[in-house]
Amino acid sequence: MRHGTVTKVLLYVALAVVLVWTLVPLLWMVISSFKSPDDLLATTPSLLFTPTLEHYGALFQSGLWGYVQNSLLAAGISTIIAVSLGCLAGYGLSRAKFRGKDHVAFWIISTRMAPIAAVILPLFILFRYAGLLDSTLGLIIAYLTFNLPFAIWIMNSFFADLPPSLEEAALVEGATRFEAFWRIALPLTAPGIVTTAILCLVFSWNDYAFAVTFAGPDSQTLPIAASQLNTQTGLNWGQLTAIGTIVVAPMILVGLAVRRYLVKGLTLGAVTGE
Amino acid sequence: MAANTTGNEAGQGSEKRGSRGISLEMTMLLPALILLAILSLFPFFYIIFMSFNTVSLIGGISFEWAGIENWTRLFTDSVVLGSWARSGLYFIATVGIEMALGIGIALLLNEIIAGRYAALSLILMPMFVAPVIVGLLGRFLTDSTYGLYAYFLNATGLYTQDILGTPGSALMAVILMDVWEWTPLITLIVLAGLSSVPISVLEAANIDGANYWQRLRHMVWPSIAGVVIVALLIRSMDAIRYFDIIFVTTNGGPGNATKIIPIRLYETAFRFFDLGYAAAIGLGMLAFSIIVANLFMRILKNRGLAR
Repeated sequence: MRHGTVTKVLLYVALAVVLVWTLVPLLWMVISSFKSPDDLLATTPSLLFTPTLEHYGALFQSGLWGYVQNSLLAAGISTIIAVSLGCLAGYGLSRAKFRGKDHVAFWIISTRMAPIAAVILPLFILFRYAGLLDSTLGLIIAYLTFNLPFAIWIMNSFFADLPPSLEEAALVEGATRFEAFWRIALPLTAPGIVTTAILCLVFSWNDYAFAVTFAGPDSQTLPIAASQLNTQTGLNWGQLTAIGTIVVAPMILVGLAVRRYLVKGLTLGAVTGE
Repeated sequence: MAANTTGNEAGQGSEKRGSRGISLEMTMLLPALILLAILSLFPFFYIIFMSFNTVSLIGGISFEWAGIENWTRLFTDSVVLGSWARSGLYFIATVGIEMALGIGIALLLNEIIAGRYAALSLILMPMFVAPVIVGLLGRFLTDSTYGLYAYFLNATGLYTQDILGTPGSALMAVILMDVWEWTPLITLIVLAGLSSVPISVLEAANIDGANYWQRLRHMVWPSIAGVVIVALLIRSMDAIRYFDIIFVTTNGGPGNATKIIPIRLYETAFRFFDLGYAAAIGLGMLAFSIIVANLFMRILKNRGLAR
């Protein structure tokens, strides 16, 4: 649509307001993470200060690397398992015809939607019996409860978008059905696979509720480290904003890298984007 | 495309392939479904079992058959009923504000040509922030001594009390934290819907002399209504899934001002160790999400048929 100058100015003013609301908390977090304790405790907010890396240094000296490793292992392995099985099952689901398929689909989607607080209860007792509390394996299993149904569902939706004629052409040329999947369908859904993997990674990297209930000293993840800073050592805002920056920055980067496919991923395939 | 649930369109060639083809698809499907059954069906039946027992964690796990006691409590316990009401209020406020703002921002971005996608990328950023960080950052910003937002509210005289320490403003603050994080999701979905409104339709209306609001109501709205409902359902489902923000800000307080049902469930289970009763509450929540899942499946089917 073409707009007059006045309308245009108003539109960009409104956009500026939205951007201020969105970005101020994030910018303030990053800025504060570079402030010295004295500057942080100033009761008048200020942008004039000498930046320091002391909060980041203190975090890594007090063993942050262990939390990073736990986070990477739990989120990473759960993502790899979910996406691998999700590709196979998503393809199977999109191409299979069988009775009760709607029920299977409903079961998958309602598993994805189950409230975390309700899932934690039975898992807590079962993990306790199985000795899975305070273990990275336990967290991987907990994250699979939402990542696996998500990956199956989304990959099903990406495969359903492929015209079957491409695979049929490969079959005519003598490929097996599995080769048609492996050489034709799978490479064509590469953006879908990457999007699914990134969303699985974000969901599990960002988890707090499962980790705070199941993880112990040997398996705590970054969000737990962040919440402990806030209660144990009083109000250590410097380290808190530093750890916040460490948790948030990589997820924003990978998330925006697949922006074009986010709509499809986040609406569970119901809306196709841009 | 949304027609993926019926499978009619995908299996056109499968008659020719015969039973060998079907078995490959089932072979690909089964490992994931078996794992999913272990991860979901087993805990599901287990939580039902728990809800009919008094479960104790003290001195090892012990179960004692309680019949329907937990369930009668669920419907008569005024404290938990109060939490449901609080959840309802929180749910309507968060999802309502997010839908209104999200649609508004999407309409705004849709009118902006230069820099639309750069602005969208910036606007989407809160979505990727771990909810626990949103909560902790919210505490930082509203801290009555050092908080940036508290400072401005104080300096302008708009609000001078302790934001998270006062029931009304604490509820408002946790609602706004959720709004900050999830409004972008609505914007993203609705903007995708707006981009699919055919330009020719809008231009025809423009020539007919329809103004912006007339076009919005008669041309744009009907073609994005489906997408808006998808956004509403997706958001509704996640709104009751997560409780991290309240968990690390007010943990339900002050008083019971922000004690939504998942917080109450967590407290019942892991502070009062009344896991059987917590299981009954959990099944109540699950019933809600199954209703949402059901609506979502219907929408998917309708959209699939429409194409």
